[in-house]
Amino acid sequence: MLPPSVSDSIAQLQRFPLEIRDAYRSFRSTGDIAALHMVVLAVVRDYMPQPAETPLTDEMRLIEDLGYDSLAVAETVFFLEDLLQVRIENKELLQVRTVGELRGFVTRKVEQKPPAAA
Amino acid sequence: MNAVPFSLRRVVITGLGFVTPIGNDRSTVTAHLRAGRHGLAPVVFLGNPNLPVKVAGTVKDFTVDSTSWRDWRWPAEYEIPRETLRGLAPHGVYALCAVMQALRDAGLSEEAVAGDDATGLFCASAGSAMMLHHNLAQLHAVRGERGNPMGVVSSIAGTLNFNLAAHFRITGAVCGFVSACASASHALGYACDEIQLGRLRRVIVVGAEELNAETLLPFAAMRALSSASDPVLASRPFDQGRDGFVGAGGAVVLILEEAGLAAERGARIQAEVAGWGQAADGHSMAVSHPGGAGLRLAMQRALAQSGVKPGEVDYVNAHGTSTQVGDRAEALALRSLFTEAGARPRVSSTKALTGHPLSLAGAMEAAFCVLALTEGFIPGNPHLVTPDPACEGLDLPRAAVDRAPRIVLNNSSGFGGSNVCHVLRTPAESPA
Repeated sequence: MLPPSVSDSIAQLQRFPLEIRDAYRSFRSTGDIAALHMVVLAVVRDYMPQPAETPLTDEMRLIEDLGYDSLAVAETVFFLEDLLQVRIENKELLQVRTVGELRGFVTRKVEQKPPAAA
Repeated sequence: MNAVPFSLRRVVITGLGFVTPIGNDRSTVTAHLRAGRHGLAPVVFLGNPNLPVKVAGTVKDFTVDSTSWRDWRWPAEYEIPRETLRGLAPHGVYALCAVMQALRDAGLSEEAVAGDDATGLFCASAGSAMMLHHNLAQLHAVRGERGNPMGVVSSIAGTLNFNLAAHFRITGAVCGFVSACASASHALGYACDEIQLGRLRRVIVVGAEELNAETLLPFAAMRALSSASDPVLASRPFDQGRDGFVGAGGAVVLILEEAGLAAERGARIQAEVAGWGQAADGHSMAVSHPGGAGLRLAMQRALAQSGVKPGEVDYVNAHGTSTQVGDRAEALALRSLFTEAGARPRVSSTKALTGHPLSLAGAMEAAFCVLALTEGFIPGNPHLVTPDPACEGLDLPRAAVDRAPRIVLNNSSGFGGSNVCHVLRTPAESPA
């Protein structure tokens, strides 16, 4: 299957603020990892079962601190897999407990796989 | 566990919640039933105006057309948290709001049922064909490599019980019923049994269905739907000119309680479920028995359990979907049970006003029967012009009758020849 174009992925991000869509565009065109991190944080916030406005820090645990359950973790992963065209295995998932670990994990995943051309 | 013996345990209805084509609250629904005002509206499915499906019983003030919960809208009086929304099917939104409304009507808080081992939840829906189709299409598109984690709980039959049980923290019992258009009637019947057996003291009975292309158009393929574009001609149960049913969506909830529990908490008892019965046709996977044999036996059993004679029944809310075969079978069953015994209850099918909401029908019409009992009227058959000759001898009032019924029957029939009948009565009619 061909990787989606940037415009397909942007459609998936339609519900996110403009700055997040811009960050995603920037990541896709320049490989800017800081921009990717902005997107990941926005996705983490979007799938919190009980939304809250508190700023997200790397130390925050998805389940204990952010109210995630295993379904919300699976939803987040499904969305990121689709958006970034990466595959995340169950055993890899078990090692991701905090926001920071998720951020680092997604970074390693996309670094293993160069972004598709627009 | 309460110690009242089986035979003395009575089941009463203390709360109703409505999200229907004829209104999303008790008073609007009552007004439509009294006035014979339908809730059907023009529809176009799959952007194709050439389809032979022109009208349907639409739900107003809700927008749940999208496969993404983020696009859904519902009346502001209901607060639905994201944690709950993420697992729902579109008809789950109707159902959740109807449960909240029914609890309020029953004078119960959500805290009162959460974690209460005496409260159960029985649901009826066919699941969400739209969500299932969407989720499976996504899965196929990536050759099975990934899929929506909420795909199962938001789509398969059971989606209602999974989600509502979690939201309302139900610990007494949770169960789903799938018998097509008799599903919600089964849920109500078995809820009565659980209360009479002393296993539960309260059951929240829920019926719900979506109205969309995926739910309805397969019935057009069976040639079961009316192709009329005039709502008055489209849904006209028992009329000689009827040409099929009109689809509908919505959710209706009934709060059933053991009479002792209702009395302890000073609840308003709206009606008693005096008994119920079921029987099967043994005939076809989809077509009613030509003589209505299974439905007749279901009614007989319901009357027998209730200790009610045919001559004591004031009103029958018929299943009457407006199909040629089904309405005729029911008319013959009614004649065989009532006319031959010299009884002449009023008979009407409220599907003329609502359309046919499939799994939801039995709960919706049981709740309409409760309204008839509490508000003192009998719904009519406003679209009936020329009754089918099979109805000879039946009393099919055109307009609602301004007379309070005391004992009413609610009929439902589903695919596979599944027939269910409930007997409801006013609390005043209950034996001491």
